[in-house]
Amino acid sequence: MQSWRRKSLWLALLASWLLGLLGIFPLLRLAVPTGPRAGAPRGWPRWLDAELLQSSFQPGEPPEDAPPPPPAPRGGSCDWGACFDTSKCRSGGFKVFVYPAAGPPSETQHKILASLEGSRYHTVSPTEACLHLLSLDAPAGACGPLPPEWNRGKNHLVLRLHPASCSGTFPRGQAMVAEASPAGDAFRPGFDVALPPLPEAHPVRGGAPGRLRQHSPHPGEALLALAEEGGGWRMAGADSSACPRSGHCERDGGPEPTHPGAALPNATFCLIPGRRPDALRFLQALQAGCIPVLLSPRWELPFAEVIDWTKAAIVADERLPLQAVAALQEMPPTRVLALRQQTQFLWDTYFSSVDKVIRTTLEIIQDRILGVSARPLLMWNSPPGALLALPTFSTSPSHFPFYHLQRGSRPAGRFSALIRVGATGQPPLKLIRAVAGSHHCAQILVLWSNDKPPPSSWPETAVPLTVMEGHRKASDRFLPFRAISTDAILSLDAHSSLSTSEVDFAFGVWQSFPERMVGFQTWSHFWDEAQGGWGYTAERVNDFSMVLTSAAFYHRYYHTLFTHSLPAALRSRAEAAPGCADVLMNFLVAAATKLPPIKVPCGRRPAEAGPPQAPGGLGPAPQPAARDCIDQLAAGFGHMPLVSSRLRLDPVLFKDPVSVLRKKYRSLEKP
Amino acid sequence: MCASVKYSIRGPALIPRMKIKHRIYYITLFSVVLLGLIATGVFQFWPHSIESSNDWSVEKRSVRDVPVVRLPADSPIPERGDLSCRMHTCFDVYRCGFNPKNKIKVFIYSLKKYVDDSGVPVSNTISREYNELLTAISDSDYYTDDINRACLFVPSIDVLNQNTLRIKETAQALAQLSRWDRGTNHLLFNMLPGGPPDYNTALDVPRDRALLAGGGFSTWTYRQGYDVSIPVYSLLSAEVDLPEKGPGPRRYFLLSSQMALHPEYREELGALQAKHGESVLVLDKCTNLSEDVLSFRKRCHKHQVFDYPQVLQEATFCVVLRGARLGQAVLSDVLRAGCIPVVIADSYILPFSEVLDWKRASVVVPEEKMADVYNILQSIPQKQIEEMQRQARWFWEAYFQSIKAIALATLQIINDRIYPYAAISYEEWNDPPTVKWGSVSNPLFLPLIPPQSQGFTAIVLTYDRVESLFRVITEVSKVPSLSKLLVVWNNQNKSPPEESLWPKIRVPLKVVRTAENKLSNRFFPYDEIETEAVLAIDDDIIMLTSDELQFGYEVWREFPDRLVGYPGRLHLWDHEMSKWKYESEWTNEVSMVLTGAAFYHKYFNYLYTYKMPGDIKNWVDAHMNCEDIAMNFLVANVTGKAVIKVTPRKKFKCPECTAIDGLSLDQTHMVERSECINKFASVFGTMPLKVVEHRADPVLYKDDFPEKLKSFPNIGSL
Repeated sequence: MQSWRRKSLWLALLASWLLGLLGIFPLLRLAVPTGPRAGAPRGWPRWLDAELLQSSFQPGEPPEDAPPPPPAPRGGSCDWGACFDTSKCRSGGFKVFVYPAAGPPSETQHKILASLEGSRYHTVSPTEACLHLLSLDAPAGACGPLPPEWNRGKNHLVLRLHPASCSGTFPRGQAMVAEASPAGDAFRPGFDVALPPLPEAHPVRGGAPGRLRQHSPHPGEALLALAEEGGGWRMAGADSSACPRSGHCERDGGPEPTHPGAALPNATFCLIPGRRPDALRFLQALQAGCIPVLLSPRWELPFAEVIDWTKAAIVADERLPLQAVAALQEMPPTRVLALRQQTQFLWDTYFSSVDKVIRTTLEIIQDRILGVSARPLLMWNSPPGALLALPTFSTSPSHFPFYHLQRGSRPAGRFSALIRVGATGQPPLKLIRAVAGSHHCAQILVLWSNDKPPPSSWPETAVPLTVMEGHRKASDRFLPFRAISTDAILSLDAHSSLSTSEVDFAFGVWQSFPERMVGFQTWSHFWDEAQGGWGYTAERVNDFSMVLTSAAFYHRYYHTLFTHSLPAALRSRAEAAPGCADVLMNFLVAAATKLPPIKVPCGRRPAEAGPPQAPGGLGPAPQPAARDCIDQLAAGFGHMPLVSSRLRLDPVLFKDPVSVLRKKYRSLEKP
Repeated sequence: MCASVKYSIRGPALIPRMKIKHRIYYITLFSVVLLGLIATGVFQFWPHSIESSNDWSVEKRSVRDVPVVRLPADSPIPERGDLSCRMHTCFDVYRCGFNPKNKIKVFIYSLKKYVDDSGVPVSNTISREYNELLTAISDSDYYTDDINRACLFVPSIDVLNQNTLRIKETAQALAQLSRWDRGTNHLLFNMLPGGPPDYNTALDVPRDRALLAGGGFSTWTYRQGYDVSIPVYSLLSAEVDLPEKGPGPRRYFLLSSQMALHPEYREELGALQAKHGESVLVLDKCTNLSEDVLSFRKRCHKHQVFDYPQVLQEATFCVVLRGARLGQAVLSDVLRAGCIPVVIADSYILPFSEVLDWKRASVVVPEEKMADVYNILQSIPQKQIEEMQRQARWFWEAYFQSIKAIALATLQIINDRIYPYAAISYEEWNDPPTVKWGSVSNPLFLPLIPPQSQGFTAIVLTYDRVESLFRVITEVSKVPSLSKLLVVWNNQNKSPPEESLWPKIRVPLKVVRTAENKLSNRFFPYDEIETEAVLAIDDDIIMLTSDELQFGYEVWREFPDRLVGYPGRLHLWDHEMSKWKYESEWTNEVSMVLTGAAFYHKYFNYLYTYKMPGDIKNWVDAHMNCEDIAMNFLVANVTGKAVIKVTPRKKFKCPECTAIDGLSLDQTHMVERSECINKFASVFGTMPLKVVEHRADPVLYKDDFPEKLKSFPNIGSL
């Protein structure tokens, strides 16, 4: 019996053991949450009868009884097609009429007028205008009466640079509204224009340049700057504990530098709350080259119709500031670099002055009118920006000198020589032969700018030679002649002397720098302390900032830009003094490229062709006309665009101690 | 349990000889064991089988077998859509949270069949297209099967075509979804909104805060930055095989192929055709086709019959007019044919307009300008037309051609809003692959001349040539713009000399010891580099004068995105061998500069260390050669620009050495360097190096001018 007991005991033990073993699995199953089981990811099922499912669409879908065209736009809502009449703009071009202020004009209205007057859009006749501009920045903040040609606001632009008191009651009707940081719900996308919020003291022209001095952030620079209530910025390191969820960032115990009253933040990223009053901080960040991180902005980003803000700013959700900070810390250097540069480009191009803001607004409207022939977004969002890339020239970016890299294109491999025959009245036979000797020369154009009629016979050349009559004005040569068929222009004076070799080498250099001017003789500008103004001279020889257009390569687009974008006042100014047209052209190219021109060597010592020099003296002699010219141009531009360079591009083996036979451009070395 | 009871009853008969006491004990024990076993079995398998009734992936099922849900007539209806919704007001971003992959998680509700009180179905359970769409989402990286982790919910209730559903009941079905919560974070796909007679431009089903991916939005219904405008899918995309036709002139200038057009529009089109003759073709439905022909694949003009969509490939521009709805499937067909759509539908929000630049692929003409349309189109230059044709085709390929493409583009747009830090750029959305391939986006694109005061950091890579190193340090320290000197000590077997032995110089000198003797150490982005400009210099380049180095720095300031170096080299195509060749002779051209003495932006150190394509970095370290060629390739590839060689050719090393530049010019060296060029060109997939014929000299170099008045007189003397 003992064995029975033992046996049963063993059995019992075995049984309980088995029980325990089996029991543990279900318990384990309960303990582990129902995560995805390996091997069988649950997805949307593959239906057995998927092939039999009916389609949502019937092939002949559109119903036979198509409805009538849509009714006219409903109450208050407008879009471009419905509320703007472009027919008025076709005939006379894009002309803008500005209503005179009802009372004494406010300072802002002065600025607006100053910006428009003399611009190519301005007209004094309301009937001729395609767009009527009404400024609401009245001094008292009261809404004036509606102007006589109001016509329910059709083809009107209501401009409100600063928030005015009459905003709520103004019946906008079919007028477009351009106002600073408009709230999302009242804004009609594609019709209204969102302006940047400008400080009261924003300059009319020129404006402060962007503060970025280097491409990449300095290693010591703070990661974040936080917009504070009082209008200042507070720097914070990478420590994200400074920002609790509310978006208001508290001071943490650590030593962090505060800049009370510092107008511009000095950090890589700028955190800006989304309320409308904070929109002003957005511009500060742009100017400082601090990448704006907007926390759920309640306002429309300025000019968002054309500016791709994803390239310059980050719109984050204010509910997740920690996520934003973490993502900023993780951001790859390449993206930071790109964002940073874009902030500066946008600031300098569209926001730094009232003039730029107004011109940008008008250009946006002009692009809408142009429709198909408007600028591609690439031109708005990469240097030099839309204000300097005229859609009337071409809509294809590769026709401009600026976008070859982005488009993977190259400038065409030939040039047109444009020879201006001025006072001498002698056909420059030797020059024509030298230029025509270049394999890259496609055509020769002679601009006959002399009272004598041009001679009937011209030398035989391998390339076509065309004679054009000029108007005997200095800036004649910068007209956008239809006859010019190549990207590159070699601008020459009759008295210039160049060899074929020099032309070939300079053209090769130009192909590497198609957006710059490549010339042989140079001037440099300087600030004259004694006179308190700008001057320029041919005598400061260690550096230069201008090349003479009596012998220079440049892109033919600059002719269009010179003729169509410069205010008439500046162009007539350039006629007044000898050499001033040259200076103006250099101003224009420098303003577009923000880079110095390029100097190449010339074999012979050039005949002195500069501002008239006082005999003997090395220093710049007083030249009232020359100085007036550069001074007035600088005032017209609002700043001094010229940039100096200290280098010259020579052939690789230039004057090297090696056999002349090895050298491609040996004639450049003749003394 | 029954079994165990039976067993216990039979028990005595099976074990008759046992004593009662033991028998009872034994039986009890066995019953317990058996009971336990059965209980365990039930416990283990029962709950699983209950759960798996929801789990379809195990076996394939039929759509007809899905569970039926009865909707009571009085079940709640969501509010109508809220027009003021924006991401930061109506979207619950907390569900999305921080995510290292920057991908939203999308959950799909399981399929149910909804019936009303009387058992009548609310809609077709699911259409072929919606099934395809949900399959695409389920197969994508966005999909999650865990409802608790999801950021976005996609109902399986099919609302693609409003005409196939009952509005009120569908809304009730939406409202009873388990995470509906006023529609927050729910995404509905609808391609055909509205119904007769007035055809609303957005889905009429009340949906509260749900996001709507809709085809045919107008400016009045579209919530910018919240809704997503999607295309109306064309059935022909899958049904018809249409080989691509390249851009170029086509037979018809303008073509209209839509069948059901409003008579007014047809009249206007007729007028256009009458005015411009052959170049305008207005097609309509065919009236006298035999029964067996697929009428929707044919179009007629008078008695002439055309195949659709093939006829679209014969036209440069194709009219896309509004029909009953704003969104038209013909847009997809037109894009596919490489025909430029002329969209005449006022207030229509074009598909994916949040990210796609439609100006590059279409012409939008206001309805009242319809009579002018021919003249408007005539003003477009041929070059632009070809670009637009290419662009149109690319849009179709990328975003229109399948339900999957439409679904993924929609999710990508929402994803980019939630993770803006990792958002896809304009170029990635819009540039066709050929443009992407050919274009270069210079990382240092801003024209900016850094101030001279910033100075540069010289980095000397050295192994053990201490004497020569000290000479280089002394020479370089004379350069006015030097701001710091960094010695990279690449010798692990030997310590650098004591501090007292180093030359005393005016700028900070810092020695970095490396862990391994690798050439790439020279290009490491050391924290010690504070300036943007870096001068890489070998420890044997002793012949560069202070004037030359200072001038080199000035040149770099004008070209901060380029390699600015002293010894220049060239690559040549060897026609006999059909491969690239390295050239160090006296040539008129230059395409590389040696980094034994070169200025460059410190960002390129980051690129070299972390972004060098392929295995080039390891290859260079393994071969102990060509790090300079690799750097030249890298910079040229990323900027698309040539190097700048500064100052005339000279001997950069010891003047006593006979070989030019002191570099070993023996044949093996040249062969190795040529091999490097060929290897790198194959890794980059292209030859990025640019050849130029110029070098940079000071303005007055070798000019007839008093030396003492020159800024950089001491240049190029051997």
